[in-house]
Amino acid sequence: MLQLTSITKSYFQKIAVDDVSLSLNEGEIFGLLGPNGAGKTTLIRIINRIIEPEKGEVRFNGELMKGKHLAEIGYLPEERGLYKTMTVYDHAMFLGRLRRMSKDEVNKSLNNWLEKFEITSWKNKRIEELSKGMAQKVQFICAVLHEPSLLILDEPFSGFDPVNVELIQNELKAMKKAGKTIMLSSHNMKSVEEICDRAALIHQSKKILEGSVINLREDRKDGRYAVKFKGNMLAFTHALWTGFELIDKEELAKDRFVAYVAMRGENNFQDLLKTLIGQIEIEAAWEVLPTMQQIFIETVTGKSI
Amino acid sequence: MNVSWLIAQRELKERIKTRSFIGMAIAGPLLVLLLVYVLFSVGENNKPHWNVLIVDPVGIMDNKILANTNGNISYDFANNYLPLKDFEKSKRFQKYDALLELNEKILSNKAAFLFYKEKPSFVFATAIQFHLERRLEEVMIKRFSKMTVQEFRGIKQPINVAFRNLYDPKNESYSLSGWVGFFFGGVILLFILLFGMTILRSVSSEKSNRIVEVLLASVKPRQLMFGKIAGIGIAALIQFVIWTILIWLGLFILRETLFPDMMDLSNWDVSKIADQASSGLEDGLFRSKVYNDFVELVYSRIQFGDMLVFFLLFFISGYIFYGTFFAALGATSGSENDGQQFVLPIMVLLVIALWAGYYTMQNPLSQLTYILSFLPFTSPMVCMVKLAQGYSLGEGYQIYVSFSILALSSYATLRLAGRLYQNGILQFGHRLRLTQFVTWLKNG
Repeated sequence: MLQLTSITKSYFQKIAVDDVSLSLNEGEIFGLLGPNGAGKTTLIRIINRIIEPEKGEVRFNGELMKGKHLAEIGYLPEERGLYKTMTVYDHAMFLGRLRRMSKDEVNKSLNNWLEKFEITSWKNKRIEELSKGMAQKVQFICAVLHEPSLLILDEPFSGFDPVNVELIQNELKAMKKAGKTIMLSSHNMKSVEEICDRAALIHQSKKILEGSVINLREDRKDGRYAVKFKGNMLAFTHALWTGFELIDKEELAKDRFVAYVAMRGENNFQDLLKTLIGQIEIEAAWEVLPTMQQIFIETVTGKSI
Repeated sequence: MNVSWLIAQRELKERIKTRSFIGMAIAGPLLVLLLVYVLFSVGENNKPHWNVLIVDPVGIMDNKILANTNGNISYDFANNYLPLKDFEKSKRFQKYDALLELNEKILSNKAAFLFYKEKPSFVFATAIQFHLERRLEEVMIKRFSKMTVQEFRGIKQPINVAFRNLYDPKNESYSLSGWVGFFFGGVILLFILLFGMTILRSVSSEKSNRIVEVLLASVKPRQLMFGKIAGIGIAALIQFVIWTILIWLGLFILRETLFPDMMDLSNWDVSKIADQASSGLEDGLFRSKVYNDFVELVYSRIQFGDMLVFFLLFFISGYIFYGTFFAALGATSGSENDGQQFVLPIMVLLVIALWAGYYTMQNPLSQLTYILSFLPFTSPMVCMVKLAQGYSLGEGYQIYVSFSILALSSYATLRLAGRLYQNGILQFGHRLRLTQFVTWLKNG
């Protein structure tokens, strides 16, 4: 769907993006991660043809990216604004028309989205009458109004309350289901884990990781398992004996724990469960994978958490 | 639909519904009309008595002229040729306010020259013209006709008296018409300043609230800049049209109500004046025709049709020329308040342009005026003044050259400002420096 090859861009001799290549597949949600100043926004601006790269090329559906492709891209920048004195309707009409939509198409799509978000009464309100969260919903609607096949969202969840984060996440999942491709840049690693299929990590202008979210986590697992149980901690420790090692524990309530265990010798997860059954009341047990947040911090800082 | 036009439409809608636009559309014309009213009211301010020396070497007048009954004009005759320098410098002519020169051709070309030291009011001017005309009627009737005076007056034509400054007999330095051009040029500069600042604020605010990044994902920076300049420019034109209509309407109302007796040259009926004079109403003859230079300027000298075409051409080109500077400044500044120091040079240029217009009125034929009329910074003002004064025969092409230079310069600044706009619009939080301008200009 979208291929970036060896993209390089610098500002006043400071390299913002250094030889970055990426590819997005149709119908996936791709997370673009990186600390502040890593070059994510520059990369996104290059994809949107807002700025030109010094080197490299961007291809959209196999063709070199041109102005005509912009009509198929929706973009919600991180630092987004609205014209405060315009109404929601006027705003949507203006931005929709800039995206080459007809007036009827804008009307139809806007009504559809307002109904979906249950905010039809906002249609003729001026932006300055809306709260920050409300304005952000309008911004999101304006970005997807023209039903783009590629949606690029820079920090889409910032400023939203959990209810609206859930709402937006669900919409993104629905769009993915409908075959749309989504690239999102976010510091909200939980959201990235929850909705992204693949992700890339940009650090100091370079791409240092890329892959499917599950693979990135699987590749960094350290053989730890978690057991959530009811019972005596002493009994749990006794049961482990020499075949397993208790690494950490969390007390959830009186006689309710989550214990983190590492295998010794040839023991595996099945052996662990067999050992524990009958000694304690197991509520849940799972293999512990590093979170995207951990991977992010470890990769960026070079320190393990 | 062209995206620049969509940007322009949004800008236009945004501008025309603001309170400042509506306020300016009403307050501007009212201010102009108030000024006109004041100038109408205080315009008459002249000496109570005039001494006029009639130089009549051929003796056409036979040393006679009708003296006005209230005695505010006195005439003396000189029957030999009197050089203007002598009249100007000789002590014996110091008591005279003006020299009325008659030559042998006056009976055929009906033209005479009056050289004044201080420009006479219209009342005096009309009185002198009337007295001369009355006397010439008698002379002509005697020489060329067997008609009575009354019969002659029924068929006579007005004599054209050209009023000239004694110190500037060619009338180079002063022209009422020049003020018309100055007014039009001043309006151009005023609108450039007001709407240029609007461009600056609009670009800065789009930049500071970050909507610009959303827009740039759909339009090119140059398209955005051009659309913005065009939209605000159309708002400026609408403002001007409103001004024109309201001022025109206001002048009409002023003439019909507050100054019903004001004389309009087009209504000046010589035969009526003559009839009034002959029926002994001489004292009241001019009283009802109070008139001043400004009235003449407003109601008789402004050739709105001619002026408006060139006004629009110079207004549009001048606005684009200066507007691009404002747009580039807004795009390159780091915050809404940044870049204010760079507004000053633009304002200085506008003030220089205003001065250039005044200089042109004073020195329409000077070399400097010639140069200023071609410089794009000053040509909108200078050319308006020159156009109002009238280009000399064979020099009419100059206004087209001036306009071409201005139009090409506007195109060039549009290109250059486009570079600055493109490179600066997504730079935030910095302090604007001249070196950045140069760097961004290079990075086309």
